[in-house]
Amino acid sequence: MQLKKKLNLRTSLAAATCSLLGASPVAKVLAEEATPWVIDTAALYYGEQDGRVQDISANFLANKELRYGQFLNLSLAIDTLTGATPNGAKPATNTAQTFTTPSGNSSFTTPAGDLPLDDTFHDTRVALGVSWQQPVGDVSTLDIGTTLSKEFDYQHIGINASFSRDFFQRNTTVTAGFAFASDSIDPEGGAPIPLAPMRGIDDDTSKLGDDDKEIIDLLIGVTQVINRRMLVQLNYTYSDASGYLNDPYKIVSVLDATGEPVPTIGPAPQIPSHQFLYESRPDSRTKHSIFAKTKYRFDNSTLSASYRYMTDDWEIDSHTFDFRYRWDMNRYNYIEPHLRFYTQSAADFYTLALNDGTPLPQYASADYRLGEFDGITIGAKYGHQMKNGDEWSTRLEYYTTTGKGVSSTDYPDLDAIIFQVSYRLKIGD
Amino acid sequence: MASPCELLTDVDNKTKAEELLSIVATEAWRIESKFSRYLDGNIIHKITNSNGLAVSVDEETAQLIDFSTTLYELTEGGFDITSGILRKVWSFKGKNKIPSNAAVTKILNSVGWDKANWDSPALTLKPGMQLDFGGIGKEYAVDRAGQLANTITDASCLINFGGDLLVTRPRKDGKAWSVGIEQPDTLTGSATRLIMLQQGGLATSGDTKRYILKDGKRYGHILDARTGWPIEDAPPTVTVAADTCIEAGMLTTIAMLHGPEAIEFLEAQEVRYWCG
Repeated sequence: MQLKKKLNLRTSLAAATCSLLGASPVAKVLAEEATPWVIDTAALYYGEQDGRVQDISANFLANKELRYGQFLNLSLAIDTLTGATPNGAKPATNTAQTFTTPSGNSSFTTPAGDLPLDDTFHDTRVALGVSWQQPVGDVSTLDIGTTLSKEFDYQHIGINASFSRDFFQRNTTVTAGFAFASDSIDPEGGAPIPLAPMRGIDDDTSKLGDDDKEIIDLLIGVTQVINRRMLVQLNYTYSDASGYLNDPYKIVSVLDATGEPVPTIGPAPQIPSHQFLYESRPDSRTKHSIFAKTKYRFDNSTLSASYRYMTDDWEIDSHTFDFRYRWDMNRYNYIEPHLRFYTQSAADFYTLALNDGTPLPQYASADYRLGEFDGITIGAKYGHQMKNGDEWSTRLEYYTTTGKGVSSTDYPDLDAIIFQVSYRLKIGD
Repeated sequence: MASPCELLTDVDNKTKAEELLSIVATEAWRIESKFSRYLDGNIIHKITNSNGLAVSVDEETAQLIDFSTTLYELTEGGFDITSGILRKVWSFKGKNKIPSNAAVTKILNSVGWDKANWDSPALTLKPGMQLDFGGIGKEYAVDRAGQLANTITDASCLINFGGDLLVTRPRKDGKAWSVGIEQPDTLTGSATRLIMLQQGGLATSGDTKRYILKDGKRYGHILDARTGWPIEDAPPTVTVAADTCIEAGMLTTIAMLHGPEAIEFLEAQEVRYWCG
């Protein structure tokens, strides 16, 4: 049919109906769909090996369509962190090492040959999010949101917005978005002066007060429906962080010519036992990311595959390959195996330790997360839909990282288990 | 009409409710028997047996024929009140048999409003042709019943004839009537959607219950009068809300006639719709 005819059809139909039923003015239709609140809840356990980091979290997400195309989304996440994490110091073959705790109130000792771990950072974090989605005209959508989080030594406030427009009978969607975050850090004991030495108990000479950082993210992307079974997505993201980017709890060892840590001078017992300098990172970080994803729908299953390339001005390059295959066993059950490969190059200021006698560099960090490593995640998710429309699912994943170009005794490889149970219900239906 | 019919009303006394029920039911039966193809002596029977001779129809039938003519033109022949005869070769009641091309071609000789001569109030059909208001009869009955209900009460009435329904006016307390329609909802995943209808008509078209499955292909029960075959690649079910039940019903039918472009059509008409 011609487009013009299509647009006039409703008017012609109304006129014909008027003639048929008699001319009394017809009242206008008033109809709206009533939508329930869709609530997603999840409990997650993340645990690293050997008593390292453990995270137990609870997540709640509530979503409701208020009017046609208008959505309200509320989220709440509560995380509790326990366990120990490498503090950046290099294991010493021949000697035990004693460190002052970040608060400056006490100390802890790592035996010779062991990876130094700091277990004093137990924390609880609460994060809230609110977002609103609104249609704009016939083919566009506006999303705005705000996020807040608070933990003992860190606070985050953020706003975000994105605008999407459909083209070509909604087969193509172009999205532009931005996010701005203002974070403040008030570390236990104070933010350390970069490359200042770790001091003894109740000595805060190397510490300052609190500090902050700001992050801007910009995104542009396009999603394209290829056919009834397939779509592809391509995004470019620019991210700029500035301010205090150091990890206030991470230190760098200073080694002598034999590769052993340099002891501190003074009567025993010396706390700290050796020279440890607080790490120093640049006060800005610019990242560029390209993300490509495809989703293909088979008769009873869906394959999602994606690739992300990230490069930044700290000289870190990373590649991420992610594959998910969701098999719909029947109307009520699905199983979804998951495989992810990650590889990253080291930041140019990453180092296992500094050498006594050589001039101090401007920046140095021994945080293993800035080093060169590969990571693999392998896992599966199982979901079940109940007859009343509620759905529960459970997920088990294994995540392991391996340092590259370093021996495994020096670099803290990681083995972690992730276990999650989720439940989705509707209220007001 | 072979469907359950119900009336919901917001009156506060039983006598009034019974009076309304009586009016609505009487009108439903009146229209049903007037246009039923199973009853002897009614106008449909006269036309079916006219054998090529002109039949003079009453005013109500003439108005329905005028309306159908407009719809025949608006759908470029997709909607056609002479296409009822196709049921002789198509049965959607579980036999899973599709007719041969020859059988369809043969019966198409007796289908086509262009073959009829309509000069109100005289209707002349070729021998073998039939008139069937099945595509609009129920919705028409709902709207007529609604008009009658409005003459004896200003309370809100919900008239539902087998899923084609009308709410005559808003309820006094401002609340809407809750109407459940069977549609998969991708957000919540459940099979029933809840429509809050304060006023107006609601109709659903679709083949979730009546269809033929043969050799892996699904044939919906809405036939294209031009080809004699079911529409291909239409959405399984479409519900539309409009000012009257007839408009709602016609919009769902016309949407289905658009096959894979059904949603595009509904978007262009700027109506409230839900698709399965």
